[in-house]
Amino acid sequence: MRNLMLASRNLLRHKRKTLAVLSALIVGLAGLVVFQGFLSEMMRIWRDNSILSGVGHLQVAGEPGYFEDGEFNPYAYPFPKAAQVAALLLKEPGVEAVFPSTGFVAMAGFGEASKTILVKAYPAERSFFAPKKGATKAPSDRFLLGTLESGNPIRAGERDRLLLGATSARVLGVHAGDTVTLMAILPGGQLTGRDFAVSGIFSVIPGQDDLYAYTDYDTAADFTGLSGPPVLDVLLDGVDRVDAVAASLPPDLSFRTWKDLAQLFVQVNSILASFLAVIRTVILLVTLFILANTMNRVVVERMREWGTLRAMGAKKRDILLVVLCEGCLMGAGGAILGILLGFGIATAINLSGGLSFSQGPFVWAIFDRPGLDSILLNVVPATLVAGLAAILPGRKAVRLSPAECLREV
Amino acid sequence: MALIKVDNVQKSYSLDKTRLIAVRNVSLEIEAGERVCLMGPSGSGKSTLLNIIGCVDKASEGDILIDGEDANKLSDARLSDFRNRTMGFVFQSFNLIPVLSVYQNVEYPLLLQRMGRKEREDRVRDLLAKVGLADFGKRSPERLSGGQRQRVAIARALVTKPKLVIADEPTASLDHATGASIMELMVEMNGSEGSTLVFATHDPAVAEFAGRIVSMIDGQVVEDRSRS
Repeated sequence: MRNLMLASRNLLRHKRKTLAVLSALIVGLAGLVVFQGFLSEMMRIWRDNSILSGVGHLQVAGEPGYFEDGEFNPYAYPFPKAAQVAALLLKEPGVEAVFPSTGFVAMAGFGEASKTILVKAYPAERSFFAPKKGATKAPSDRFLLGTLESGNPIRAGERDRLLLGATSARVLGVHAGDTVTLMAILPGGQLTGRDFAVSGIFSVIPGQDDLYAYTDYDTAADFTGLSGPPVLDVLLDGVDRVDAVAASLPPDLSFRTWKDLAQLFVQVNSILASFLAVIRTVILLVTLFILANTMNRVVVERMREWGTLRAMGAKKRDILLVVLCEGCLMGAGGAILGILLGFGIATAINLSGGLSFSQGPFVWAIFDRPGLDSILLNVVPATLVAGLAAILPGRKAVRLSPAECLREV
Repeated sequence: MALIKVDNVQKSYSLDKTRLIAVRNVSLEIEAGERVCLMGPSGSGKSTLLNIIGCVDKASEGDILIDGEDANKLSDARLSDFRNRTMGFVFQSFNLIPVLSVYQNVEYPLLLQRMGRKEREDRVRDLLAKVGLADFGKRSPERLSGGQRQRVAIARALVTKPKLVIADEPTASLDHATGASIMELMVEMNGSEGSTLVFATHDPAVAEFAGRIVSMIDGQVVEDRSRS
């Protein structure tokens, strides 16, 4: 304690000098916190939107092979226990919704034009469109289909309706209210066809709405002759419960999680984490260099003090501990100040609405809530690095005999 | 048995290819309770000999026994403990720790002994009262006069009840009157605390406070006389 007390007093001895030394760490970590918050918020929104855009937190199928080609051939993977499994899942904590889904490939025709589309089908009440402008938080119990450009969503109870992507609609020359003919090949090569009223035209991110179309689940089941859903989509109140809910499933079922489905998100997230780790390492190395130099100078300046302490009976270990504590306190203090400054900047920007912006249904903002991960990722390494920077100066402080230290002016 | 026994001690330094001898074959015995002054001009080796007696420096040759302990044979850690329990130091420039208050400066040697809080407090307050600084405990050393700082240093040196007090030019940074009052205090404390006082000075007026004067020139003892 006496060493820690001396170290903390020494830091306060030259406040300006200490702050000047720590400025690199403070500014670097503050910038990192703002940047990290911005990226993590973007990634969180990307993740949540991926999950709510049809991926779901969890997909549960009755047959193991469904997740290989079931989306294009749902007839081969019956799921007779779907209703019982849905009832079981709804009892699990955190489960917001469990509903059947299916899909089929069809040729859409309108006049002379035709286009291949992949029609996805959910119960009508389990889908919604984001408003065109402004921040939005998606409801957690339904899928986000994008932004409705014209027409209306499919309402519960409506049949033989189709929501068409803007690009597909443009290719086909279709507008909301028109009727298109869908033709699909059933198992055994049988061709089926039906007219669908185009209820609405939607957009997602440009380039991503040229393949998908949506209809309600009952229409899709009737059109394709499915006797029951091949897969259940599960929405939870957060990603943290995914593993627990998956573990509660009967062992004979197959499932995949949002991470299996959002591979691009997982890869980008991993790259960004590495990128941030590199920036953090650079900041810590700069701190190490500056701190080691400063501590070295400070230790030499205080040589007579070390001699006095040794004369009074302090051991070499005591002196070394004082210097190490001083370094560690500087590192921890600098990191905490850096994090606080970073969160302060982020909060100020958020409050002024400065960097929040949206594209379609996506909203990006600067993250401004301190989390335990920020403490662990920034304060602990900074403290260790600062301690490391103090080792050589500390050894210098104890290398000389007390008499040699006392002779220093 | 003498408290301090210096036997044929020599201290030399190597500077480039030159060998400088600071202390030459000095032998000396100091009894417990004595007040001894090492006197001599600058460069005479008195401070070096004082450092060796104070166990903050090692002799190149010869033996040094303090309170029966052979200082040359103690490890660095044991030597630190030995200094803490046996000796107190008063320096020319006071050498107070600027980040600690007056009270904390005096308390520090007791912290090294891991002494209990109550006993520590009693000792520190007692010593501060004896040196006339009872009301200055919370003050920073930087807000004290030179004489007051040296009084704090004396309290710090005596707080562990050491057998030996080492003072290197204790009045050199003070004006004549303050220096005299500091020496009077040291002599008084030497008597009341029952410690042995060994101090170095080049000032004959300061040497007058000693009961025995050891004069040094060029690292050698040239005179060792007791004053009646």
